Amino acid sequence: MNEISQRKFFDYLHKKGIKQFLGVPDSTMKHFIDQGLKKKKILITTREEEAIGIGSGMSLSGSKCVIFMQNAGFANSISTITSLVQMYRIPLIFLIGWRGYLSNDAPEHLHIGKIQKELLNLVNLKSKIVCDDDWKKQCDWALKNLVKKNSCALIIRREFND
Amino acid sequence: MIRKDAIIKILEHVGKNPIVAANGFISRDLFNSGDKDSNFYMIGSMGLASSISLGISLENPKKRIFVFDGDGNILMNLGSLTTIGSESPKNLIHIVFDNSKHESTGGQPTNSSLIHLEQIAKVSKYKAFKVKNIPELEKILKKIKNMKGPIFILVKIDKSENLSNRVDLLPTEIKERFTKFLKR
Repeated sequence: MNEISQRKFFDYLHKKGIKQFLGVPDSTMKHFIDQGLKKKKILITTREEEAIGIGSGMSLSGSKCVIFMQNAGFANSISTITSLVQMYRIPLIFLIGWRGYLSNDAPEHLHIGKIQKELLNLVNLKSKIVCDDDWKKQCDWALKNLVKKNSCALIIRREFND
Repeated sequence: MIRKDAIIKILEHVGKNPIVAANGFISRDLFNSGDKDSNFYMIGSMGLASSISLGISLENPKKRIFVFDGDGNILMNLGSLTTIGSESPKNLIHIVFDNSKHESTGGQPTNSSLIHLEQIAKVSKYKAFKVKNIPELEKILKKIKNMKGPIFILVKIDKSENLSNRVDLLPTEIKERFTKFLKR
Protein backbone atom coordinates (compact mmCIF):
# COMPACT_ATOMS: atom_id res chain seq x y z
CA MET A 1 0.00 0.00 0.00
CA ASN A 2 1.37 3.42 -0.90
CA GLU A 3 1.97 6.25 1.52
CA ILE A 4 -1.11 8.29 0.60
CA SER A 5 -3.43 5.28 0.95
CA GLN A 6 -1.90 4.32 4.28
CA ARG A 7 -2.45 7.80 5.69
CA LYS A 8 -6.04 7.91 4.41
CA PHE A 9 -6.59 4.39 5.77
CA PHE A 10 -5.57 5.56 9.24
CA ASP A 11 -7.67 8.73 9.07
CA TYR A 12 -10.71 6.78 7.96
CA LEU A 13 -10.55 4.28 10.84
CA HIS A 14 -9.99 7.11 13.27
CA LYS A 15 -12.92 9.08 11.88
CA LYS A 16 -15.12 5.99 12.13
CA GLY A 17 -14.58 5.77 15.88
CA ILE A 18 -11.38 3.81 16.50
CA LYS A 19 -10.11 5.50 19.61
CA GLN A 20 -6.71 3.89 20.05
CA PHE A 21 -4.18 2.11 17.84
CA LEU A 22 -1.74 -0.11 19.71
CA GLY A 23 0.97 -2.51 18.77
CA VAL A 24 4.48 -3.24 17.65
CA PRO A 25 5.59 -1.37 14.51
CA ASP A 26 6.10 -2.99 11.14
CA SER A 27 7.77 -1.21 8.22
CA THR A 28 5.02 -2.57 5.96
CA MET A 29 2.62 -0.07 7.54
CA LYS A 30 5.01 2.68 8.60
CA HIS A 31 3.02 5.51 7.00
CA PHE A 32 -0.16 4.30 8.70
CA ILE A 33 1.63 4.36 12.06
CA ASP A 34 3.26 7.70 11.30
CA GLN A 35 -0.14 9.22 10.59
CA GLY A 36 -1.35 7.92 13.96
CA LEU A 37 1.71 9.25 15.77
CA LYS A 38 0.99 12.70 14.33
CA LYS A 39 -2.54 12.49 15.71
CA LYS A 40 -1.24 11.14 19.05
CA LYS A 41 -3.37 8.03 18.77
CA ILE A 42 -0.61 5.41 18.82
CA LEU A 43 0.58 3.39 21.78
CA ILE A 44 3.71 1.38 21.03
CA THR A 45 4.00 -1.68 23.24
CA THR A 46 6.90 -3.96 24.07
CA ARG A 47 5.23 -7.07 22.63
CA GLU A 48 2.19 -7.81 20.51
CA GLU A 49 0.45 -9.69 23.34
CA GLU A 50 0.84 -6.68 25.56
CA ALA A 51 -0.96 -4.59 22.94
CA ILE A 52 -3.76 -7.16 22.82
CA GLY A 53 -3.99 -7.02 26.62
CA ILE A 54 -4.20 -3.22 26.77
CA GLY A 55 -6.62 -3.16 23.82
CA SER A 56 -8.77 -5.77 25.57
CA GLY A 57 -8.94 -3.55 28.66
CA MET A 58 -10.01 -0.64 26.47
CA SER A 59 -12.54 -2.78 24.64
CA LEU A 60 -14.02 -3.97 27.97
CA SER A 61 -14.42 -0.26 28.73
CA GLY A 62 -16.38 0.27 25.52
CA SER A 63 -13.61 1.78 23.34
CA LYS A 64 -12.81 0.54 19.84
CA CYS A 65 -9.20 -0.39 19.17
CA VAL A 66 -6.92 -1.54 16.38
CA ILE A 67 -3.97 -3.77 17.27
CA PHE A 68 -1.16 -3.61 14.71
CA MET A 69 1.74 -5.99 14.26
CA GLN A 70 3.90 -7.88 11.80
CA ASN A 71 2.93 -11.47 11.00
CA ALA A 72 5.80 -12.63 13.24
CA GLY A 73 3.91 -10.92 16.06
CA PHE A 74 0.70 -12.59 15.00
CA ALA A 75 2.45 -15.93 15.43
CA ASN A 76 3.59 -14.79 18.90
CA SER A 77 0.02 -13.88 19.79
CA ILE A 78 -1.90 -17.00 18.86
CA SER A 79 -2.47 -18.18 22.43
CA THR A 80 -3.63 -14.72 23.51
CA ILE A 81 -6.00 -14.53 20.56
CA THR A 82 -7.55 -17.92 21.31
CA SER A 83 -7.61 -17.78 25.13
CA LEU A 84 -8.36 -14.10 25.71
CA VAL A 85 -9.82 -12.39 22.65
CA GLN A 86 -11.89 -15.31 21.39
CA MET A 87 -12.67 -17.06 24.68
CA TYR A 88 -14.08 -13.90 26.29
CA ARG A 89 -15.38 -12.58 22.95
CA ILE A 90 -13.54 -9.28 23.13
CA PRO A 91 -13.97 -7.41 19.84
CA LEU A 92 -10.73 -6.06 18.32
CA ILE A 93 -9.47 -5.28 14.82
CA PHE A 94 -6.03 -6.67 14.06
CA LEU A 95 -3.87 -5.08 11.40
CA ILE A 96 -1.19 -7.55 10.35
CA GLY A 97 1.76 -6.83 8.08
CA TRP A 98 2.36 -9.66 5.62
CA ARG A 99 6.10 -10.16 5.54
CA GLY A 100 7.24 -12.91 3.23
CA TYR A 101 4.56 -11.96 0.72
CA LEU A 102 7.36 -11.47 -1.80
CA SER A 103 9.40 -14.63 -2.28
CA ASN A 104 12.63 -12.62 -2.07
CA ASP A 105 11.85 -11.03 1.32
CA ALA A 106 14.40 -11.53 4.13
CA PRO A 107 14.79 -15.19 5.12
CA GLU A 108 13.21 -14.98 8.58
CA HIS A 109 9.89 -13.97 6.98
CA LEU A 110 9.59 -16.59 4.28
CA HIS A 111 8.08 -19.51 6.16
CA ILE A 112 5.63 -17.52 8.26
CA GLY A 113 4.69 -15.57 5.13
CA LYS A 114 3.83 -18.84 3.47
CA ILE A 115 1.71 -20.31 6.28
CA GLN A 116 0.07 -17.08 7.41
CA LYS A 117 -3.17 -17.62 5.49
CA GLU A 118 -3.58 -21.15 6.84
CA LEU A 119 -2.69 -19.99 10.33
CA LEU A 120 -5.42 -17.32 10.22
CA ASN A 121 -7.89 -19.99 9.10
CA LEU A 122 -6.85 -22.41 11.84
CA VAL A 123 -7.18 -19.71 14.48
CA ASN A 124 -10.55 -18.88 12.95
CA LEU A 125 -9.72 -15.20 12.63
CA LYS A 126 -11.54 -13.81 9.62
CA SER A 127 -9.37 -11.60 7.46
CA LYS A 128 -9.31 -9.37 4.38
CA ILE A 129 -6.39 -7.94 2.45
CA VAL A 130 -6.32 -4.15 2.19
CA CYS A 131 -5.11 -2.59 -1.08
CA ASP A 132 -4.76 0.93 -2.48
CA ASP A 133 -8.07 0.71 -4.32
CA ASP A 134 -10.29 -1.09 -1.80
CA TRP A 135 -9.11 -0.27 1.72
CA LYS A 136 -12.28 1.65 2.52
CA LYS A 137 -14.48 -1.34 1.74
CA GLN A 138 -12.33 -3.60 3.94
CA CYS A 139 -12.38 -1.06 6.77
CA ASP A 140 -16.17 -1.01 6.65
CA TRP A 141 -16.17 -4.80 6.80
CA ALA A 142 -13.89 -4.78 9.87
CA LEU A 143 -15.92 -2.05 11.60
CA LYS A 144 -19.11 -4.04 11.01
CA ASN A 145 -17.45 -7.02 12.68
CA LEU A 146 -16.66 -4.90 15.72
CA VAL A 147 -20.30 -3.85 16.01
CA LYS A 148 -21.24 -7.54 15.95
CA LYS A 149 -18.68 -8.09 18.77
CA ASN A 150 -16.43 -10.15 16.50
CA SER A 151 -12.69 -9.83 16.11
CA CYS A 152 -11.17 -9.82 12.64
CA ALA A 153 -7.96 -8.99 10.82
CA LEU A 154 -6.92 -6.68 8.03
CA ILE A 155 -3.81 -7.80 6.19
CA ILE A 156 -1.40 -5.37 4.56
CA ARG A 157 1.06 -6.88 2.10
CA ARG A 158 4.72 -5.98 2.03
CA GLU A 159 5.14 -5.29 -1.69
CA PHE A 160 8.65 -3.85 -1.57
CA ASN A 161 12.09 -4.83 -0.37
CA ASP A 162 14.61 -2.44 1.13
CA MET B 1 0.87 -14.52 55.35
CA ILE B 2 -0.99 -16.56 52.77
CA ARG B 3 -2.46 -15.09 49.59
CA LYS B 4 -6.07 -15.52 50.59
CA ASP B 5 -5.61 -13.64 53.88
CA ALA B 6 -3.82 -10.85 52.04
CA ILE B 7 -6.65 -10.71 49.49
CA ILE B 8 -9.30 -10.52 52.22
CA LYS B 9 -7.40 -7.61 53.79
CA ILE B 10 -7.04 -5.79 50.46
CA LEU B 11 -10.76 -6.24 49.67
CA GLU B 12 -11.53 -4.09 52.73
CA HIS B 13 -9.83 -1.22 50.87
CA VAL B 14 -10.98 -1.76 47.28
CA GLY B 15 -14.55 -0.47 47.71
CA LYS B 16 -16.53 -0.30 44.48
CA ASN B 17 -13.47 -0.33 42.26
CA PRO B 18 -12.65 -2.98 39.66
CA ILE B 19 -10.13 -5.76 40.19
CA VAL B 20 -8.35 -7.64 37.42
CA ALA B 21 -7.06 -10.94 38.79
CA ALA B 22 -4.31 -12.94 37.11
CA ASN B 23 -4.90 -16.56 36.14
CA GLY B 24 -4.31 -19.51 38.44
CA PHE B 25 -4.69 -19.43 42.19
CA ILE B 26 -4.97 -15.63 42.31
CA SER B 27 -8.30 -15.62 40.46
CA ARG B 28 -9.45 -18.65 42.43
CA ASP B 29 -8.64 -17.06 45.79
CA LEU B 30 -10.39 -13.83 44.81
CA PHE B 31 -13.44 -15.71 43.53
CA ASN B 32 -13.71 -17.58 46.83
CA SER B 33 -13.01 -14.53 49.00
CA GLY B 34 -15.51 -12.10 47.53
CA ASP B 35 -17.04 -12.66 44.12
CA LYS B 36 -18.38 -9.46 42.54
CA ASP B 37 -19.37 -8.19 39.09
CA SER B 38 -16.44 -5.80 39.36
CA ASN B 39 -13.93 -8.67 39.38
CA PHE B 40 -12.40 -9.68 36.07
CA TYR B 41 -11.03 -13.18 36.49
CA MET B 42 -8.41 -14.21 34.00
CA ILE B 43 -8.61 -17.77 32.88
CA GLY B 44 -5.47 -18.27 30.86
CA SER B 45 -3.46 -15.47 29.19
CA MET B 46 -0.76 -15.60 31.83
CA GLY B 47 1.10 -12.33 32.17
CA LEU B 48 -1.54 -10.02 30.78
CA ALA B 49 -3.41 -8.86 33.91
CA SER B 50 -1.22 -5.76 34.15
CA SER B 51 -1.79 -4.87 30.49
CA ILE B 52 -5.56 -5.37 30.60
CA SER B 53 -5.62 -3.19 33.71
CA LEU B 54 -3.63 -0.47 31.96
CA GLY B 55 -6.26 -0.38 29.20
CA ILE B 56 -9.05 -0.17 31.75
CA SER B 57 -7.35 2.53 33.81
CA LEU B 58 -6.69 4.74 30.77
CA GLU B 59 -10.37 4.55 29.80
CA ASN B 60 -11.81 4.90 33.32
CA PRO B 61 -9.98 7.79 34.95
CA LYS B 62 -12.58 8.13 37.71
CA LYS B 63 -12.14 4.57 38.97
CA ARG B 64 -9.14 3.11 40.76
CA ILE B 65 -8.11 -0.13 39.08
CA PHE B 66 -6.59 -2.88 41.22
CA VAL B 67 -4.46 -5.57 39.58
CA PHE B 68 -3.95 -8.80 41.49
CA ASP B 69 -0.82 -10.17 39.87
CA GLY B 70 1.73 -12.86 40.68
CA ASP B 71 5.51 -13.06 40.47
CA GLY B 72 5.44 -15.68 37.71
CA ASN B 73 2.82 -13.63 35.89
CA ILE B 74 4.62 -10.30 35.93
CA LEU B 75 7.92 -11.95 35.03
CA MET B 76 6.23 -13.06 31.81
CA ASN B 77 5.34 -9.47 30.93
CA LEU B 78 8.04 -7.33 32.53
CA GLY B 79 7.84 -4.99 29.57
CA SER B 80 4.39 -3.95 30.77
CA LEU B 81 6.02 -2.25 33.77
CA THR B 82 7.82 0.11 31.40
CA THR B 83 4.65 0.76 29.41
CA ILE B 84 2.66 1.44 32.59
CA GLY B 85 5.45 3.66 33.92
CA SER B 86 5.49 5.60 30.66
CA GLU B 87 1.72 6.03 30.45
CA SER B 88 1.70 6.72 34.20
CA PRO B 89 -1.98 6.11 35.00
CA LYS B 90 -2.76 7.80 38.33
CA ASN B 91 -5.52 5.29 39.03
CA LEU B 92 -3.63 2.00 38.73
CA ILE B 93 -2.72 -0.05 41.80
CA HIS B 94 -0.60 -3.04 40.91
CA ILE B 95 -0.42 -5.66 43.64
CA VAL B 96 1.94 -8.58 43.11
CA PHE B 97 1.57 -11.62 45.34
CA ASP B 98 5.07 -13.01 45.46
CA ASN B 99 5.75 -16.54 46.64
CA SER B 100 8.78 -16.92 44.33
CA LYS B 101 6.99 -19.90 42.88
CA HIS B 102 4.80 -21.07 40.06
CA GLU B 103 2.46 -22.43 42.70
CA SER B 104 -0.35 -23.69 40.48
CA THR B 105 1.95 -25.81 38.31
CA GLY B 106 3.63 -27.59 41.22
CA GLY B 107 5.73 -25.01 43.03
CA GLN B 108 8.60 -24.62 40.59
CA PRO B 109 10.84 -21.65 41.46
CA THR B 110 10.74 -18.21 39.85
CA ASN B 111 13.72 -15.86 40.14
CA SER B 112 11.85 -13.27 42.23
CA SER B 113 13.78 -14.45 45.29
CA LEU B 114 16.97 -13.18 43.63
CA ILE B 115 15.70 -10.21 41.64
CA HIS B 116 13.64 -7.65 43.53
CA LEU B 117 10.52 -6.91 41.54
CA GLU B 118 9.64 -3.79 43.56
CA GLN B 119 12.96 -2.28 42.51
CA ILE B 120 12.19 -2.92 38.85
CA ALA B 121 8.83 -1.22 39.44
CA LYS B 122 10.53 1.72 41.10
CA VAL B 123 12.87 2.43 38.19
CA SER B 124 9.83 2.04 35.93
CA LYS B 125 8.39 5.11 37.70
CA TYR B 126 5.92 3.39 39.98
CA LYS B 127 5.60 4.32 43.62
CA ALA B 128 6.71 0.96 44.95
CA PHE B 129 6.27 -0.75 48.30
CA LYS B 130 7.03 -4.15 49.75
CA VAL B 131 5.17 -5.82 52.63
CA LYS B 132 5.76 -9.07 54.47
CA ASN B 133 2.81 -9.38 56.85
CA ILE B 134 -0.79 -8.26 57.35
CA PRO B 135 -0.03 -5.25 59.61
CA GLU B 136 2.48 -3.91 57.06
CA LEU B 137 -0.04 -4.48 54.27
CA GLU B 138 -2.75 -2.66 56.21
CA LYS B 139 -0.40 0.27 56.81
CA ILE B 140 0.47 0.63 53.11
CA LEU B 141 -3.16 0.29 52.03
CA LYS B 142 -4.03 3.21 54.30
CA LYS B 143 -1.04 5.18 53.09
CA ILE B 144 -1.96 4.88 49.40
CA LYS B 145 -5.61 5.80 49.92
CA ASN B 146 -5.24 9.22 48.31
CA MET B 147 -1.89 8.66 46.62
CA LYS B 148 -1.59 9.08 42.85
CA GLY B 149 -0.40 6.05 40.94
CA PRO B 150 0.87 4.04 39.38
CA ILE B 151 1.42 2.25 42.66
CA PHE B 152 3.14 -1.12 43.06
CA ILE B 153 2.82 -3.27 46.17
CA LEU B 154 4.88 -6.43 46.42
CA VAL B 155 3.16 -8.73 48.91
CA LYS B 156 5.46 -11.51 50.06
CA ILE B 157 3.34 -14.61 50.69
CA ASP B 158 3.79 -18.17 51.87
CA LYS B 159 2.50 -21.30 50.24
CA SER B 160 -1.22 -21.90 50.83
CA GLU B 161 -2.22 -25.25 52.31
CA ASN B 162 -5.81 -25.19 51.09
CA LEU B 163 -6.80 -24.86 47.48
CA SER B 164 -9.58 -22.45 46.50
CA ASN B 165 -12.21 -23.74 44.10
CA ARG B 166 -12.04 -22.97 40.41
CA VAL B 167 -13.90 -19.96 39.04
CA ASP B 168 -17.11 -21.59 37.86
CA LEU B 169 -18.32 -18.76 35.65
CA LEU B 170 -18.15 -18.84 31.87
CA PRO B 171 -15.55 -16.46 30.46
CA THR B 172 -18.27 -14.63 28.52
CA GLU B 173 -20.28 -14.29 31.74
CA ILE B 174 -17.27 -12.78 33.51
CA LYS B 175 -16.89 -10.33 30.65
CA GLU B 176 -20.55 -9.36 30.35
CA ARG B 177 -21.03 -8.53 33.99
CA PHE B 178 -17.67 -6.74 34.17
CA THR B 179 -18.42 -4.52 31.16
CA LYS B 180 -21.85 -3.73 32.60
CA PHE B 181 -20.18 -2.74 35.85
CA LEU B 182 -17.73 -0.44 34.03
CA LYS B 183 -20.61 1.28 32.20
CA ARG B 184 -22.36 2.22 35.44
